[in-house]
Amino acid sequence: MRKLFAILLALAMLLSMTSFAIAEEPITVTVFRGDPGDQPTDDNKIYKMIEEEFGIKFEIEFLAGDLDETLGTKIAGEDYPDLFDGGNSAEKLINAGALIDLLPYISEEKTPNLYNHIKDLLPQLVNEDGELFIIPNYGINYNAQIQMACNGPAFFIQKQVLAWDNYPTIKTLDQYFDLIERFIAANPTNKDGVPYTGFAILCEDWRHFCLINPVQHLMGRPNDGEVVINVNSGNWETEVFITKDYAKPYYKKLNEEFKKGLISRDTFVMNYDQYIAALSSGTILGMFDQTWDFGSATAALETAGMYENTFCALPLVYDEHYGYGVIEEQYLNGAVPNKDRGFGISVNCEYPERMINLFENLLSDRWQKILQWGIEGEDYYVENGRMLMTQEQYNNRNDASWKMRNTAATIWESSPKKQGTQDDGNAWAPADQSENYFNLMSDYDKAFLSAYGYLKPADFFNAPCELAPYGEAWQIDKTPIQLDYNDFNAIQDKWLPIIIMSADDAEFEANWAAFQAEIAPCATVYEEYMQEEVLKLVEQATK
Amino acid sequence: MPYAEKAVKAKTPLKGQPRKQKEPIKLESFSDLIKYIKNFFFEIKKRDIVFPLINGIILCLLMFITLYPVINTVAISFNDGIDALRGNIGLWPRMFSTKAYSDLLTDPLIYSAFFISVSRTVITTILNLLTTSMLAYALSRKEYVLRKFITTAMVLTMYVNAGLIPNYLLITDTLNLDKSFWVYIIPTMFSCFNMIVIRTYINGLPEALSESARIDGAGDFRIFWRIIFPLCMPVLATVALFVAVGSWNQWFDTQLYNGGKKNLHTLQYLLKMKLATSMNQANKANATADAMAQAANTTPITMRCAITVVSALPILLVYPFLQRYFVTGMVLGGVKG
Amino acid sequence: MIGAANKNVQLHPKRKMGFFKTLGRQYQLALMSVPMLLYVFLFNYFPMWGWLVSFEKFKPKQGALNSKWVGLENFEWLFGRADFINAIRNTLAMSVINLIFGTLSSILLAVLLNEVRSRFFKRTVQTVTYLPHFLSMVIVVGMAQNMFSADGTINNLLISAGIISPENKIFWLGEKTLFWPLVGVINIWKEVGWNSIIYISTMTSIDPTLYEAASIDGAGRFRRILHVTLPGIKSTFVVLLIMNIGHLMEAGFEIQYLMENALVKEYSQTIDVFSLRYGISSGEYGIATASGMFKSIVAIFLLFGANFIAKKLDEDTLI
Repeated sequence: MRKLFAILLALAMLLSMTSFAIAEEPITVTVFRGDPGDQPTDDNKIYKMIEEEFGIKFEIEFLAGDLDETLGTKIAGEDYPDLFDGGNSAEKLINAGALIDLLPYISEEKTPNLYNHIKDLLPQLVNEDGELFIIPNYGINYNAQIQMACNGPAFFIQKQVLAWDNYPTIKTLDQYFDLIERFIAANPTNKDGVPYTGFAILCEDWRHFCLINPVQHLMGRPNDGEVVINVNSGNWETEVFITKDYAKPYYKKLNEEFKKGLISRDTFVMNYDQYIAALSSGTILGMFDQTWDFGSATAALETAGMYENTFCALPLVYDEHYGYGVIEEQYLNGAVPNKDRGFGISVNCEYPERMINLFENLLSDRWQKILQWGIEGEDYYVENGRMLMTQEQYNNRNDASWKMRNTAATIWESSPKKQGTQDDGNAWAPADQSENYFNLMSDYDKAFLSAYGYLKPADFFNAPCELAPYGEAWQIDKTPIQLDYNDFNAIQDKWLPIIIMSADDAEFEANWAAFQAEIAPCATVYEEYMQEEVLKLVEQATK
Repeated sequence: MPYAEKAVKAKTPLKGQPRKQKEPIKLESFSDLIKYIKNFFFEIKKRDIVFPLINGIILCLLMFITLYPVINTVAISFNDGIDALRGNIGLWPRMFSTKAYSDLLTDPLIYSAFFISVSRTVITTILNLLTTSMLAYALSRKEYVLRKFITTAMVLTMYVNAGLIPNYLLITDTLNLDKSFWVYIIPTMFSCFNMIVIRTYINGLPEALSESARIDGAGDFRIFWRIIFPLCMPVLATVALFVAVGSWNQWFDTQLYNGGKKNLHTLQYLLKMKLATSMNQANKANATADAMAQAANTTPITMRCAITVVSALPILLVYPFLQRYFVTGMVLGGVKG
Repeated sequence: MIGAANKNVQLHPKRKMGFFKTLGRQYQLALMSVPMLLYVFLFNYFPMWGWLVSFEKFKPKQGALNSKWVGLENFEWLFGRADFINAIRNTLAMSVINLIFGTLSSILLAVLLNEVRSRFFKRTVQTVTYLPHFLSMVIVVGMAQNMFSADGTINNLLISAGIISPENKIFWLGEKTLFWPLVGVINIWKEVGWNSIIYISTMTSIDPTLYEAASIDGAGRFRRILHVTLPGIKSTFVVLLIMNIGHLMEAGFEIQYLMENALVKEYSQTIDVFSLRYGISSGEYGIATASGMFKSIVAIFLLFGANFIAKKLDEDTLI
């Protein structure tokens, strides 16, 4: 009897071992991405390699319509794909309990790559219960952070304006507008007779950060959204800046420029397409924006050979006479882990361990090179230890139909990845590789930079500061106070254009007062909420 | 109807009729155009020309203002994408390029998507015409005891909407239609609006037609199929157009129910995805320094226009065949007599 | 007369018992209609349990059955907001404008086309005018925004016609009182050809001998239109009118969303846009559903009201 039992046990063990083998059988993993994208072709070379090595095929669903709507239906039906990227609304998935906690699967022994990837940031990444549902898809740097240019917020000015004034150093708001005024006075129109517009403000929908965000930067802070946080006092006082005295001078300045005709009222009704068209035509001299927001306009100007009309990013602050002392600019921030963005593993996934194993392996140096650079000899070449690309290889990377056949962009974009510098000094991202960067730069830009004695556009800025323990405050989830937050935004959208268009000082004061009265209640709610959240995050990060 | 009786008289030619019934001028080809213009100036001298003249001018003007956006769209679709960002393209491309089209048409998925779209449109249209016209006939019968109840129940469906999620759960959890082709057909088999349109048309048909058949002993199925259905051709052509366009343009059901099944993607869904992708690349956050280089290849403006052309063209080609039914008109008078 | 009276006498006492008998005799009609009735019950009425959500603080995780019941709180929140009240006003205003001018313009186009003798010209006009229906709203609005911008075609035309001076260009897109008419114009531009199709096809059912009779009677063109063409499309017109009155709470969504900017928002935000912003996008499904339910209820009242009036006026009715 005992013998029989032993045999049975042995059989059971054998079975369980075979079932372990079965787990390594080819599987098809369903994937959802909260972004639109192109389906890879069936003969895609990178996906083929993944299939051969891990036995995993992907069935990918992209987002074509509204993200919140789509996630709402999936949550209601509990129709979760295995790998679930909720895009910018991933909080919804976490709150709905759609994802599993990843930490139990991650350990130094079993998954060293993942473990090392997140160990320093762990206190910031986990939630209050110490769970981690999504490993950030971007923002975790290895070795040195590479900052070639300002990719984020700044005041922008056409390079020809700086060149016209013999490459002055522009540090303050007043210097900036003074230069634009003088330029327009000397050159009212471009060579085709189209009048220049001094300053544009994009106000459309979520892109209204061009209208409402500048004040914090003028006060010398990096991008925290709508709040300024006192990082030095130790108390992390968080204040909504639009209701503070130091917000007023900026809009007063804009009002003056409006009265001088530098700002057109049309700017307040422009949609994004018209804004890009206006920038691309080269008649807008300046604006506050974020570099990535008008990349297509830059491309249009460069394609048309209008390099002098492309924009230079400037880190402006208030002048001393505004009464806030000498302000040191701090536009560039340390790399921000893209918290809660990327793939999570859903509760419906039958093989979470294999998914973790996949992430672990894809995070190895070998796979990171394959995912980011491609195959050596085909997609890039190595010369003296430097990874380089020919013009054609570089162009391929931007060709949609080539990418469908030759990259695993979808999986790569949502998975944990290495950024910054490789151990051998090469950059992880091809575009961060300095040779590639300088090869792509136009002669005009090279001459422009050398006129300032700079090597790269980022030299206009102070070096990135260390990232605050709360990250960047704009990332904080506003869902619990969403309705107040909507109002907070809507009231600014409504009043700030009216304020800027005020006919005279009396009207400006009246409008400002009315604006302050209307926004006060929701601003208070928002401020209190943000203060609490910031403190929570700081406490977690310093635990 | 004071003219109804006179209509009968009109059939017998009257003596001393001041004007002869003139052949309507046919202008089927451009060779007839010259003849038409000659005639046109000749006609001006006669009476009753002011109205056709003004009418023609108004309609030409209307054509101009409605044609402008269409030609503009086509022009932009054939323009270089990055150049198009600068705006101000009129009726002709400024920098000719077929990049937008080649981006669309090189995706191997587009052909299967086209096939799925055609299939769903054809099947939905046929089913819809049958169910809708049959119901319209039944509800046009004044003596039908359930008429009021069913009509009310049907009409209210146009105004009550349970919302997205309950509908989604019905299709996926209750009926298990998701991840299949049938989700394109079954939930869209019937439209109340079209039913009402057909019913109104049937109500306008002379009662005598069905009455005589009824006396001959024909049942409702027979009356509907043999008499009413053929007479309804003009309105059925209209409804077919409505249904076909609606079904052809659907992309949301693919997104909801078949997003993960690429062999069930429809053309509109694929095109919508292409547009969203190209817009998304332009917007892509500063997460990688690559964003700028990516934007250089992105052309949401030309893409949108090319997509409009690609998606509308097939349905535009079908239009002339349907149009003949409601432009030429049917001579009901003969049936009536 | 006597026959009719007899019928009444016979039918009345039988009515209660005779319902099923009559239905039995009308089994063919029932076969043609009852399956569709079941169909709409399944696809349209059954999902209406979802309206429960409008009385809840809905959390997707808990589902409609377990979410917190809040009674009329969502409705109170909605009607306590000035911008929701504005949204109702804007929705009604824009859909009334659309209804009146959209209908008139499409009937006018149909009538004008009906008067065209040349078949080629008729077909051409019809094809061309319905083309804009296939353009996406984004394209049409983009074009309209360029035309109506400060230096756009419209202002330039007005300046060259001497109607306005170059210093006083009309701020079409930023003037909130101009928003409703602008939306009306764009809608008509896009849809007039499409909307006229149904009237054109209805006109084909008009007996041509009626026109001949009218001519014999000495009726001119306008009298023929007035006494033959328009009566010929009357029932279609009335039925569509009743249906559209029921739809007054739907003023569209895309066009307002695309044309909106902060300066005109007070006049541009419709119920649908509002409920997207404060409902779905904010994760407040309760509020979104409440506003949808409110719309449906108003729509049903409007519908029955319009139907009732039509009945009183002895016109065709929908129900």
